[in-house]
Amino acid sequence: MWQIEVGTTTGKVYVTLIVLAFLALFLGFIPVMQALPPRGRRALIALITFFAGLVFAAEFFLPVDKKGENWLSPAIDPAQNTLQIIGAMALALGTYGLIRLHLRNIVQQRSQWGYSVVLIVAFLTMGFFSVWKTLAEKGELRQTEFLQKGFTLLFDNMLVPLEATMFSLIAFYIFSAAYRAFRIRSIEASILMFTAMMVMIGIVSLGNIISYSWLGLPIEQTAEMEQNPFSLRNIGYNLALPRIAYWILQALNAPVQRAIEFGVGIAGLAMAIRLWLSLERGIT
Amino acid sequence: MMEQQTIWHRLLMIDRRILYLILFVNIIIFLLIPVKVPTVTSPPVRKFYDTIEQLQPGDIVMVSSNWSAGTIGENRPQLEAVIRHLMRKKVRFTVISFDPQARDISFRFISRVTQEGGYQYGKDWAHFGFLPALVAGIKGMVKDIPATIKQDIKGTPIAQLPVMQGVKTLADYKMVIDITPAGTVAAWIAYRPKDLIVLFCPTSVMAAEAYTFLDSGQVAGMLTGAIGAQEYEQLLQQEGLGTPFAKAISFSHALIILFIILGNIALFMSRRAQGG
Repeated sequence: MWQIEVGTTTGKVYVTLIVLAFLALFLGFIPVMQALPPRGRRALIALITFFAGLVFAAEFFLPVDKKGENWLSPAIDPAQNTLQIIGAMALALGTYGLIRLHLRNIVQQRSQWGYSVVLIVAFLTMGFFSVWKTLAEKGELRQTEFLQKGFTLLFDNMLVPLEATMFSLIAFYIFSAAYRAFRIRSIEASILMFTAMMVMIGIVSLGNIISYSWLGLPIEQTAEMEQNPFSLRNIGYNLALPRIAYWILQALNAPVQRAIEFGVGIAGLAMAIRLWLSLERGIT
Repeated sequence: MMEQQTIWHRLLMIDRRILYLILFVNIIIFLLIPVKVPTVTSPPVRKFYDTIEQLQPGDIVMVSSNWSAGTIGENRPQLEAVIRHLMRKKVRFTVISFDPQARDISFRFISRVTQEGGYQYGKDWAHFGFLPALVAGIKGMVKDIPATIKQDIKGTPIAQLPVMQGVKTLADYKMVIDITPAGTVAAWIAYRPKDLIVLFCPTSVMAAEAYTFLDSGQVAGMLTGAIGAQEYEQLLQQEGLGTPFAKAISFSHALIILFIILGNIALFMSRRAQGG
């Protein structure tokens, strides 16, 4: 019911009819929305949101056959494809908005309009080479030396180092922030600082140097050490900085992360229900 | 007494640009000087290595490469080390990206590494390109890979690639290796076929969240950032980018800790000098 064989003539007719119907619906929707009062407009949006969400909820809750599917299961793939199409439309809309804004900056010569010129030129150049390269990879356009050199210059020699540089700046901010924020002002702050320092040292090579090269603590746990857990060698093995760091991450961090994820999951469910029923103020 | 108070106060009020310069010099020095730093393999890296070691020649692995240039310092050493290990085991592999920039980056870096190892595109490995929807993509591949992906990065139909011989769904794969700075691994865990092993290469900042999956066994092994790549390179006995990067990170951590201690001493001394 939900899948159409596009290779057949009947399939092609069906697809054409569906596309035309959606186009008519979309074009008809704009004057309807404009004609409706704000209250009616909100009700219509809430109704569409509810029915769109109902497809996914009903598919999940309806009984399934031996294959684990029900009559709505084949509709999920087309529904997800529709989501991608809506996403692509949003991308196009965003691109249009960006270009419009910066073109206006240039035309009206607003303050710092030079940056808008850089943006438009970079956008068009990168877009041109990217589209050309993608089509050339699929054999639909010719691969030329100019394309190779141009794309390598823009992608490998400009985009990659620029983005990596932008991201690496975080390290410098963290260094400055850690220096100013990690102060022993309370017991809680002290515990946090001490734990952070143990993990920071323990997970890097410096933890190995201090524990194993300088202090000479055992790297491996022998059978004898396992049998005598309170022997000095076993205590030393467990007190090595990498062992402590791993213990903090596994025994302290993991349960807390799990608890947070449960909380986030429940909150996400509550938020999803609110969005589905249009109870969120943002869309009602 | 007065002079001492001024020094501590100055230390507390140090210009952030001086801190940036100190960190920058520290990174450059430890990236360039040829100092050997001993490393002990952490349990998640050991598990990662042992899991790949269990693969047999001809097995097929999915590499999910979802990182862009922002995390190149951490994810590139991981990617290269993993690909080298897969080639050493003579394993077939396919690559997929759920990030548009990751498509080109992963294809370029893997092409370079596979050329060194004599791997042929199409026969030994293939790149499926960029797929926009993570969950829909994984669910589609669980049912039918050629129908979901259709064409590889070069426009060849997936079913015609020699590397895909005998491979129809994700259930035909032995494992998936997710190299990512984002939370994509949860989707792989949730929607993969039951027996598909998941290995994870996150950035350091994402690793803390993954210990729950490691603890539950849903992730079989993990390489944490450049440090994980360094440990992995030592297991492979083949130095790559992870070793120098991890060395610089290691001494940067030491520098940060040194300055945190200095800052606290300065705070304590300035308070004492003020009679607080």
